[in-house]
Amino acid sequence: MGSLTTGLRRDGRSSGRRSRIPLPGFAGRMMAPGLLVLAGVSLLPFAAVVIMSFSRVHLLGGLRLEGAGADNWTRLFTDPDMAWAWARTAGYFLLTVGGEMVLGTLLAICLWRLRHGRNAALSLLLLPMFVAPVIVGLLGRFLTDSTFGLYSWLLGQAGYHGDLMGDKTTAFLSVTLMDIWEWTPLVTLIALAGLTSVPSSVLEAASLDGAGMPRTLRHIVLPAIAPVLLVALLIRSMDALRYFDIIWNTTGGGPADATKTASVRLYETAFRFFDFGYAAVTGLLMLAVTTVVARYFVRLLDRKGLAR
Amino acid sequence: MGSPPPSSAPRPAPPLSRRSVLRGAAGAGAMGLLAACGGRSDAAFHADAGPWRRYAGTTVNFISENTAPTAAIAADLTPFTELTGIRVNIVTLELSALAQKVALDLASGNGEYDVVYADPYQVLAPYAPAFADLREFAEDPGLPRLPGGFGDFIPTHLDAAGRFGGDGKVLALPYDCPTMVWQYRADLFERYRDRMADDLGFDPMPSDDTTWEQYYAIAEWFNDKTDAVRYGTGHQAKQHDALMCDFSNLLWSYGGDYFDGGRRVGRVGTLDPGDCRLDSDAAIEGAAFYQRLLRIADPGSRTWDWDGLGAAFRAGRIAMCPNWHEYAASNEAAMPGKVGYARLPKGPARSAGMYGGTGIAVSDVIPERRRQAAWLFVNWATAPRTQLANLASEVGGGTPTRTSVYGLPRVTEAQHRPSKMANMLSATAVKETWRSDTIGLRPKIPMWAECDTAVYTQLSGMLAGDASPESAMRAATSRIDRIVARGWVN
Repeated sequence: MGSLTTGLRRDGRSSGRRSRIPLPGFAGRMMAPGLLVLAGVSLLPFAAVVIMSFSRVHLLGGLRLEGAGADNWTRLFTDPDMAWAWARTAGYFLLTVGGEMVLGTLLAICLWRLRHGRNAALSLLLLPMFVAPVIVGLLGRFLTDSTFGLYSWLLGQAGYHGDLMGDKTTAFLSVTLMDIWEWTPLVTLIALAGLTSVPSSVLEAASLDGAGMPRTLRHIVLPAIAPVLLVALLIRSMDALRYFDIIWNTTGGGPADATKTASVRLYETAFRFFDFGYAAVTGLLMLAVTTVVARYFVRLLDRKGLAR
Repeated sequence: MGSPPPSSAPRPAPPLSRRSVLRGAAGAGAMGLLAACGGRSDAAFHADAGPWRRYAGTTVNFISENTAPTAAIAADLTPFTELTGIRVNIVTLELSALAQKVALDLASGNGEYDVVYADPYQVLAPYAPAFADLREFAEDPGLPRLPGGFGDFIPTHLDAAGRFGGDGKVLALPYDCPTMVWQYRADLFERYRDRMADDLGFDPMPSDDTTWEQYYAIAEWFNDKTDAVRYGTGHQAKQHDALMCDFSNLLWSYGGDYFDGGRRVGRVGTLDPGDCRLDSDAAIEGAAFYQRLLRIADPGSRTWDWDGLGAAFRAGRIAMCPNWHEYAASNEAAMPGKVGYARLPKGPARSAGMYGGTGIAVSDVIPERRRQAAWLFVNWATAPRTQLANLASEVGGGTPTRTSVYGLPRVTEAQHRPSKMANMLSATAVKETWRSDTIGLRPKIPMWAECDTAVYTQLSGMLAGDASPESAMRAATSRIDRIVARGWVN
């Protein structure tokens, strides 16, 4: 792709002449409307949220902002509930993303090895991914309901008579499993795409050399699909940090805050308490964390030559 | 090219230039943008028409929680449209979504919603200045009079759902009135009455003298002595608003309250309720009993809100529960003739049943005539005739908020089986609960949503074994004090 700027005046050598702002080239001019729209829908709201984070937001009689200095930011760093919400978010992040990556890769390898019916199996496997997260939450709630839930009944038959959503540990695990159920297929799909691109000649060579399945996987297959898995990791990480729908529809953050993640807390602050100043601070923190995680994975991809 | 036409001949119309097309498109776009950003136009007005017909041709927008009366009204708006010539668009939402829509509508200043389902705690208290004083409409000779006047509404309802702040303004007319009562399997109580009386040493049939300790004993008896149900009692103890409602019955009956002067704060409302009193001995005692009660309750209780509890009760899983009286209709459909209703048991201080009623209000950010058209709908929707029709509706239900409706022969008869208005089967229990000394009113303060969250979160922790009743109540107190100290910014 050509440079976005032309006419860059290299005036550094001619003393006494000021350097000018480079003019956009043809490609730049073509992209300018799109970039302006993008700036309008992302930079302006971002600036508004930054301003709100230093304000008290009044709704009555039209939106008004009253300067609050650093009050909202100070509150963020002295709010123990927020610290716990982030700790739980980290727990969810590790469990859901970790579980999805491991299970998704294993399922992809199984599908890859499948000689017959791969397409049918893949279609079935992908189904959960097409269900809206809100619906997954509602389904989870009904299936685990102790009065009429199928899973509760099955667990009862197996001798477990507790209530999945009534206990802190099982509620935490249940909502984690629901997320894993929904998004493991995405990782499978991405990993399978990577697996199909592993050269068969290399695999045959490994086979002729006597490498068994575990060694082939460890030394050939996994290194070959590692960059693709990194893409899956990046996509799922972004999403896992914003994990909200399923929790809100099943436990609402309970019991005893056991499932209250940072995004649930953000939603409550903004749309239950209408404390938009503090919600802006929470949102900005979430944006910062997401950006740091994304940058980390993009850098890893870059090292493998996939970010370009 | 041909020669130019003679000057006397009419000039052909010039072709539409690109510039004029662009100019026209820009103008249309700007007008569209202005129309989108501007407020809604005022209502149609026909000065010569009668009071009910003056705003014929107007469309009124009503935003409501998905409640029984709204379902009944939405199913048959024809009488109102025929009476007034006004069309009504009804938007029904879950309560928290409604609170968001109303808040954002008020912030935008557009006044998209003319009539608002004004939940006293999430809408009325936070945004009281955004609603019109309905007394002005009631006193306006150019508008239809309010049948029965404000005095026909049950007094506690009018105060709790219709007023805020003690300035006398009526900001909403009571529209629905769910109230927590004791719902019990009358068939099982009758069947085991003698055995229970022998074992427990008191008559188990619910009465005004029944105490929470006796309720506990009855629940335990059902757990241990019969297989007719899985558990004696069930509760709405999910980490949710429902948990606060369920606990508050105990809190008040043990003499505790959220703030000093709790009844005034609950009935009239205030911007500054003062220090929280959940750390009082009475409140801690109430919390300790609640924790004890939940230990013998159905374990599913910790995952149920009011709907989950209602479903469990109708499934025959529990023998009794405190729940909203408006579940009577669905109870009767599932278990005809088997469910009884009574006022909630009393504690050391009193009996108290949570009131969860709401009024409908007219937005004050819309133009004057539109407000008057909205008032016609509010007037009609809360009129005795409409409330009676709602009561008999097959799709809705709800229960009346007007004293006069309870006096109607059809309604009085419906309080006994066989009843065509099943919600009326709980009427005796709720009427006792609505007395000023027994009604349970949570604090009507603008920041209640956040305080509510603090309360049910601490209670959920207590039920999960994370905290003792004392530490849960103290933690809730300090959080509520912090929330109240920040004040309300809207």
